[in-house]
Amino acid sequence: MKISAQQYAQSLFESVVGKSDKEVKAVLKNFVAVLGQNREFNKEKAIIEAFIDIWNRERGELAATLKSARELGPTARETVVNYLKDKTSAKKIILDEEIDEGLIGGFVLRYGSKVLDGSLKNSLDSLKNKISN
Amino acid sequence: MSTTKDFIVEQLKSEISGFKAEVSEKSVGKVLKVSDGIALVSGLAEAMMSEILIFKTENSEVTGVALNLEDSQVGAIILGDYTAIKEGDEVVATKRILEVPVGENMIGRVVNPLGEPLDGKGKIETSKFYPIEKIAPGVITRASVKEPVQTGIKAIDAMIPIGRGQRELIIGDRQLGKTALAIDTIINQKGQNMKCVYVAIGQKESKVANIVTKLTEAGAMDYTTIVLAGASTSASLLYIAPYAGCAMAEYFLDKGEDVLVIYDDLSKHAVSYREISLLLRRPPGREAYPGDVFYLHSRLLERACKLNKDFGGGSITALPIIETQAGDLSAYIPTNVISITDGQIFLEPDLFYKGNRPAVNAGLSVSRVGSSAQIKAMKKVAGKMRLEAAQYRELAAFAQFGSDLDSETQKKLERGKRLYEIFKQDQYQPLSVAKQVTAYYALINGFMDDVPVDKIREFEAGLYKYADLNDTALKLIDTKKEIDEEVESNLKKLIEDYKITVDYLIK
Repeated sequence: MKISAQQYAQSLFESVVGKSDKEVKAVLKNFVAVLGQNREFNKEKAIIEAFIDIWNRERGELAATLKSARELGPTARETVVNYLKDKTSAKKIILDEEIDEGLIGGFVLRYGSKVLDGSLKNSLDSLKNKISN
Repeated sequence: MSTTKDFIVEQLKSEISGFKAEVSEKSVGKVLKVSDGIALVSGLAEAMMSEILIFKTENSEVTGVALNLEDSQVGAIILGDYTAIKEGDEVVATKRILEVPVGENMIGRVVNPLGEPLDGKGKIETSKFYPIEKIAPGVITRASVKEPVQTGIKAIDAMIPIGRGQRELIIGDRQLGKTALAIDTIINQKGQNMKCVYVAIGQKESKVANIVTKLTEAGAMDYTTIVLAGASTSASLLYIAPYAGCAMAEYFLDKGEDVLVIYDDLSKHAVSYREISLLLRRPPGREAYPGDVFYLHSRLLERACKLNKDFGGGSITALPIIETQAGDLSAYIPTNVISITDGQIFLEPDLFYKGNRPAVNAGLSVSRVGSSAQIKAMKKVAGKMRLEAAQYRELAAFAQFGSDLDSETQKKLERGKRLYEIFKQDQYQPLSVAKQVTAYYALINGFMDDVPVDKIREFEAGLYKYADLNDTALKLIDTKKEIDEEVESNLKKLIEDYKITVDYLIK
């Protein structure tokens, strides 16, 4: 049976959790050896992604990206963080902020497979769709 | 000119002022892979089965439907131009199950399986949408089938009666007139309180264009919707076409009306589903069809029903069509659909090339609903017809060996020849029940025994014309729907009077 990237990541997480740095190093070495044995180095990227997901989930952390047209003030940032905490029961939010002037105004918030698109560009696009139909 | 410009500007202004930007959280995934009308999408953890997905491509939006829900990805069929979709494109889940527009305005139109017009007659205004997949009505909502669908085809109405709410399969090789039977049936529904939906699955568009023209000429488009998924459409659209057609029929069912749906044909539908399944990497089974190909057709045909009075009393009659390869009835899809339906009309090449058209094989064709779906008059004349036709075929084969036959057998053979002559019928010429009863009455009561076999059709045509001119007998059959003494004496008189006018009788 093939082992999926998700399964690799899950088992890696389970074997490193609560271990000391030295032990983690040994585990990682073994893990890479197993990957080599199974000839599945090509899954490296997917495993890393899945591992970050699992790590964050298990520790109550949530990674989110926030794109906005202009830099957000502290109160706006606070609102977004509270919104995410409300929605996901995560304890800590790791917010990755980006400035994208193409949005014209507003912001786009992404976390997990969810998107909250409150940008002016999106509104204009849907207005365009509505008129052209 | 300026007024139109002002009008447009006004419209635009009101549209824009009425526009409210909505911000809501959406489930979004990414396209991992696109191939042959199939896409694999990552993310979309909350996607539902057969949910509509929107693929946001560079210039447009393409719709798709989720079919495979897996651990970390979703397999979807694409209902539009899949070449526009690129790896990494965003996919948005809509939280809506795939649905089609339904309503009165669909009548008289040619639409694709998504309900979009294909006939160039402009937009279809409908306010209602029905999901294309629906659980069939349950036991308590149903009633037994007992009202007839008059197909207008003599051989069928007499021997293989079809009732409202029945599922009758039309099966046979290519080019034997399967579609012709279906189209004649649609044409004959004029004034019979029946809506029709013709679903063309994988048919040549030229053939469908011909059908539309014929139906328009016959005035049948006033109560008919055509759902067209032509031979050049993608497998995903072919796959949803019959379900979409059924959804359009269900709108009328819910209003308590009777609907006739024709699926032309389900073998191509099975092939398109096989294509999708194989591309989605579902395991193949017999003839490479997936394991659930039986369920594919059973869930569709189970939606044909006759509802009881408490649930509106409407009905959906289904006439699925299956094309066999070289008369092979024991292939996978034909046996499946035969076992699902309430009977089949089997068309045979031998009969067809002998000139017996429609080439209905009386022995292999059955209707499990039987004579409860006939009016009394037809029951009376057609009672033994099926048996007689089958017996004649046997006798005729036997009689080839010897010429010395007793007079009883001779008589049976002569009657049989005339019966098969009567079964012949031209395309696009469906016949009213009253006329059919008249012809059969004349035959079984020996009025045609002195008409030469090669003159039977001429005699028959003349009889109908004569009956139209002196239509008391026809009207009596139509109102009474049975043959009592009054009708009988009228019929006898009509036929005897007519026979005086012909000059080719055997003396």
